[in-house]
Amino acid sequence: MTASGDELAARDITVLLVEDDPPTLWRLQDALAKAGFDVVAAATLADARASLAKRTPRVLLTDLQLPDGHGVDLIRETRQRFPDTEIMVISILGDEESVISAITVGATGYLLKDAFPTDIASTVRDLVAGHSPISASIARFIVRRTQANAEPPPGPPLNTTKLTPREIDILWGIAKGFSYAEIAGHVGMSRQTVPGHIKSIYRKLEVHTRGEAVFEALQQGLIKL
Amino acid sequence: MSRLLQYVLLQAVIVIVCTIALRHPLAEPPSSALVTAFSLKDRDVERSATLPDFVASRRSMNDPAFYRGSFIYDAPSARDDARRAWSVYLPRFTNGVEIIVNGVEILDSRRDPSANRPDRATPEIAVIPASLLRDGPNDLVIRLYVWGPVSGFLDRLYVGPDEVLRPYYEKRTLLFVTLPMVFSAWQGILAVILIVLWAVRRHEPAYGALAAAMALGAIQAFLPTAVDQTAHPEFNATVIASSAPLESGFVLAFAILFFGRKWPRYGPLIFLPGVLLVLIGLFGNPEMLRQAFVVLGIPGLGLNLVLLALVVAWSELRRQDVPSLLLGCAVTIVLTCWVHDVLSVLQIIPDHRVFFTRLSYSAMLVAIGAGLTWRFAGALNRVDGFAAHLAIRLREAEDKLKASFAREEARARAAALARERARLMRDLHDGLGGQLVSIVALSERGDASAPVGDAARAALKDLRLVIDSMDDIGGDLMLALGSWRDRAAAQLRPHGIALDWRATPPGLPVHPELRPWHVIQIVRILDEAVTNAVKHAEARRVTVSIETLSDTSSSGCGCITVEDDGKGFPPASGGAAALERPAARGLRNMRSRAARCGAAFELVSGAGGTSVRLTLPRRFPDGDAVAG
Repeated sequence: MTASGDELAARDITVLLVEDDPPTLWRLQDALAKAGFDVVAAATLADARASLAKRTPRVLLTDLQLPDGHGVDLIRETRQRFPDTEIMVISILGDEESVISAITVGATGYLLKDAFPTDIASTVRDLVAGHSPISASIARFIVRRTQANAEPPPGPPLNTTKLTPREIDILWGIAKGFSYAEIAGHVGMSRQTVPGHIKSIYRKLEVHTRGEAVFEALQQGLIKL
Repeated sequence: MSRLLQYVLLQAVIVIVCTIALRHPLAEPPSSALVTAFSLKDRDVERSATLPDFVASRRSMNDPAFYRGSFIYDAPSARDDARRAWSVYLPRFTNGVEIIVNGVEILDSRRDPSANRPDRATPEIAVIPASLLRDGPNDLVIRLYVWGPVSGFLDRLYVGPDEVLRPYYEKRTLLFVTLPMVFSAWQGILAVILIVLWAVRRHEPAYGALAAAMALGAIQAFLPTAVDQTAHPEFNATVIASSAPLESGFVLAFAILFFGRKWPRYGPLIFLPGVLLVLIGLFGNPEMLRQAFVVLGIPGLGLNLVLLALVVAWSELRRQDVPSLLLGCAVTIVLTCWVHDVLSVLQIIPDHRVFFTRLSYSAMLVAIGAGLTWRFAGALNRVDGFAAHLAIRLREAEDKLKASFAREEARARAAALARERARLMRDLHDGLGGQLVSIVALSERGDASAPVGDAARAALKDLRLVIDSMDDIGGDLMLALGSWRDRAAAQLRPHGIALDWRATPPGLPVHPELRPWHVIQIVRILDEAVTNAVKHAEARRVTVSIETLSDTSSSGCGCITVEDDGKGFPPASGGAAALERPAARGLRNMRSRAARCGAAFELVSGAGGTSVRLTLPRRFPDGDAVAG
């Protein structure tokens, strides 16, 4: 009975799972518990807050539409109070609207509700390891925002001014379906460092405080004093 | 009708005012200076005559009538320092006079061009040289020359101190000599203006006719008529005699054309009297011309004036504009004066031999000048108004155009939206709808092994595809394929099938004409190929190759190949048809989707696996019509 290194690591990882749909909750909980994670489940925003007060999770997995509030608020609070907690948003479609709005308040990853159990576990594990997931359509959405447009395209507001040209190149590669190896070769870095860049990109898209949000909105000309 | 009445009343008032003015006697010197008693020797017949007096017209110009009379010269008293100059003042005479005082001729009016025009009531005054004057009675002889056409006339004459008589003489000169000269000069200027106007606007002959009238009037006024001094007496006489009927004819022609009446067929007849006079003047003798003038000239003038009055009255009643009214009043004045003059010559009314027709013609000149200026100013206003109107219309047209553009844009937007909605419905129906139905069917079977999960996943995948295709990818199919790669990899991973993605830079050419429905069709073909590899081929690896085939042309065609290393399809002809049915349907679907996008579809299946090769068109078809 020697536990593998992975399992040991997984057992140390506490996951707070916030999801109001019971079947989805069971499914995700099963997938994570089978992979060895220490899962605490919450069905409402109030439950989640209560749970957060008791114990700080390593990973927060939350749905956005909750019966008593919005997941975005939970993400923002968690991000401010527990900076070391990795935050993931649970999305049905992985669409830009939900994922980007979560990223701007501090999420660094997303999980599809219908993902296969193995994928669910590996995604969480990768996130803890510092590898944030990104889809081609999310990458596409972000690089679109880096292009100067007189009229901002529809979707949640996003400040991309902090992204470096290299990071934008990486996003372009992902958007076009190139593999990490191909992207790494193209921008001149090792394949292993690419996922780390994704997390860095997410962090740069984050709006940390209300004051900063106002400042950035001013800089982007979204609001006028 | 009331308008006609008003007009006629106005003209009647003018006639009355004119008549009163004409009958108003001209100022005359004190009667103490009057010399009336004469003895007349006319053609060897002697009789006593009291002025004013008439003598018969005659043929010869050198056959004067002699009026003999006398006046008393009061010797100045001793207390006067200087002797006052005395003059003989003749207010009116026709046609020429010589004044002889004490046997010495002191004036010959025939040397004065103005005095020789019987139509002008030119007065004469002659200062009697002091040396001729005798205290007491002095002889005074007037030789009256008559050359027709009217009879000779000698008005009452005055002899007296020059200082007493001269103001009356000056007054008459101003009225009957200077004023006509001023008006003639004005007429000359008018002629020049009208000639220029006509030269610039040749299509308006009205101005040409009026210019001819004005020129003729101005020329005849300045022609010399001194009996023995002119170079071409016949020519001058002809011009003078024919000027009145011709000029009035031209003015009438002007009025007809100017006031918009059609030029009548017998129009040229108005020039007949004038032309006849010219012919007589050129080919006959002066006496004939004078007689003809009486017969043709004066009635011709009158007829033209009457016609003119009618034309102008008609115009005024129809248009009620200021030029017609002004000209109408002027014509009435001239006509009244003409009637007065004719009656005066015919001695139906007391005859003072003062003719006002030519003088009153100046009223018409003023009316013509004022009318033309009015017309011109009106035309300028109309031009301004037209420009403003044009600007307004232009703005209106612009607004309309903008509105129609906006409408068209809205319509196009609505049409695009409707098209997009129809496409979305069809896509959802094709994919999601069918899959949901199959989920329902599977779950109703209550079979635990039924692949409900697969069907639901396929439905979700299709929903993601439809949503993804909505995004604007700017014609870069690579962006759509990037998203598809994520989904395909997720689909293959649980089956343990590796996805080998081989995108050869620069990937696929950009197609600006690429529409979402093209993307959906292409991605569905690729989905079908991957699904076949998962379900039927038992493959271990799926390879997706993306490249641009560069052929002879500058821009190559994109080519997407999906290969698996499975067992391949058995030939469609052999084997159990029932088993192959879903695969065959999938194949048919792939072919029809490729055809809709104008892409070449190629499927090679064998023992080593299946290869689906999609060669994209150079240009994606525009219409969605082929899509069923």
